[in-house]
Amino acid sequence: MNKKKEHRFFTMLRSASRDTIKSIERNNLMSFASVASIVAALLILGIFIIITINVNNVTSSVKNSLELKVFMKSSYTQEDLDAVQTALTNEEYVTGITYESSDEALAKYSASLGQYSGLLSGFTSSNNPLNASFIVQVDDPSHLEQVKSEAEKLTNIGVDYVKYGEQYVDALVSFSNFMNWVCVIILVILSIISVIIIYNTIKLTCYSRRKEIGIMKFIGATDWYIRLPFFFEGSMLGIIGAVFATLILRTAYYYLLGMTSNATYLPMQSQLIAPASVMGPVLIFCLVYGILMGVCGSLFSIRKFLDR
Amino acid sequence: MIEFINVTKTYDKNNVDALNDINLFIDKGEFVFLVGRSGAGKSTFIKLLQRELSPTKGTVKIRNHDISQLSKKEIPYLRRKIGVVFQDFRLLENKNVFENVAYAMEIIGRPESKIRKKVPLALEMVGLADKADRYPNELSGGEQQRVAIARAIINNPSILICDEPTGNLDPETSREIMELLEEINRHGTTVVVVTHDATMVNRLQKRLVVLDGGRLVSDSMKGTYDNVLS
Repeated sequence: MNKKKEHRFFTMLRSASRDTIKSIERNNLMSFASVASIVAALLILGIFIIITINVNNVTSSVKNSLELKVFMKSSYTQEDLDAVQTALTNEEYVTGITYESSDEALAKYSASLGQYSGLLSGFTSSNNPLNASFIVQVDDPSHLEQVKSEAEKLTNIGVDYVKYGEQYVDALVSFSNFMNWVCVIILVILSIISVIIIYNTIKLTCYSRRKEIGIMKFIGATDWYIRLPFFFEGSMLGIIGAVFATLILRTAYYYLLGMTSNATYLPMQSQLIAPASVMGPVLIFCLVYGILMGVCGSLFSIRKFLDR
Repeated sequence: MIEFINVTKTYDKNNVDALNDINLFIDKGEFVFLVGRSGAGKSTFIKLLQRELSPTKGTVKIRNHDISQLSKKEIPYLRRKIGVVFQDFRLLENKNVFENVAYAMEIIGRPESKIRKKVPLALEMVGLADKADRYPNELSGGEQQRVAIARAIINNPSILICDEPTGNLDPETSREIMELLEEINRHGTTVVVVTHDATMVNRLQKRLVVLDGGRLVSDSMKGTYDNVLS
């Protein structure tokens, strides 16, 4: 029985796919318009995915290296130091704490300047302009703000100010959120346009086959059997669109990668993610979304003809 | 086999009864002519059988099942049990004779091996065994109607409905088509023929049901068209 069912399915599948190819050829202009509109929508979807993946990559690397710096006032006593250390250690969410004296800070800064370290040669521990600080690690980026405000309450025992990369991360996240919204809005508009164009393309097929649909109905074809070829046609348009969109995005991404490979302005030495790990999700999303648009368009258009 | 119980069908548009309180029972294996002027309700009768329409009042039963109770999903399965032949043949122009008949088996998912075995038998029965690879526009009207009949009976329906099957055909061809329908009837299929063709009705002397203005005005076992109209 199972084998029989399987066989039926393939008989149906074969005649449906045969009809699909025929009708895509017959309506080549409308089919082209459908594919073009799907490609346009999917390009936006792809850009959206690429931005999201890359921004998530950057923010997560920034977030992981995030730490608070609690700076001491220049005049502090050893008791202040101990008290601040104890207070910070007892703070919830704090996972690690390192003391950096002003001498160490100076040495670090001097080292970071490399060949220009001579610029700091006039400074010694007696006239060091840098403040001592605690470097505080937090368990989760979302707790940064809270730990910061707790640390700022310690000003009475020698804390001067507290800093972390919040401005930087916030700007990046809000930029990516903004871009995502822009992408979503464009995507929705283009999707609607695509579905309408597909709807009209498939409607042409339905119209040219309305006699056939009528005959199928009175011979006793199920609605799904009648829908299948149109369904295929829509999905096929979606798949073709998805493949084109992915190829275009891939080319563009390689081009972008070439442009930015030597760029130094990208934050925290982060690079664009390797194409291999971006294009996979892009292809999958494009295929799924393309097929979805194709199927929606075709289901809308055949509904009219079935209900007659 | 077919049962109409107090069936009334009113179209919303003009509020005129297309069928008015029809009671009719057609037994398994019967051959029935359904006649009447245009507008008498013949098309409505067929559409009710096909469940293209539902009665406004009353019950239509096929094989003892009230078909107005069928869900939308079940309708195709009802139609597979009822073969239909139309005046305008309704063949697919882009398929040849074999494919047109095979199509009816394809859509209900019969395996290809069965299709290849059964279609030639059906074509032989309607006398078109040698024209399997012709296209509808290469055939005469009578031949096209034979293809339509082969398609209608290929899935062994228990009922064959013919809507003016000879309306477009000359008398000689009409006679051949009617002989074919009788032949099908002899194999046990219930045949309902809707027609205008008085000569044919008179010659075949079958059960005759007459509709007029939506009412069933006559139902006689060996009816002739003349006494009906008088």
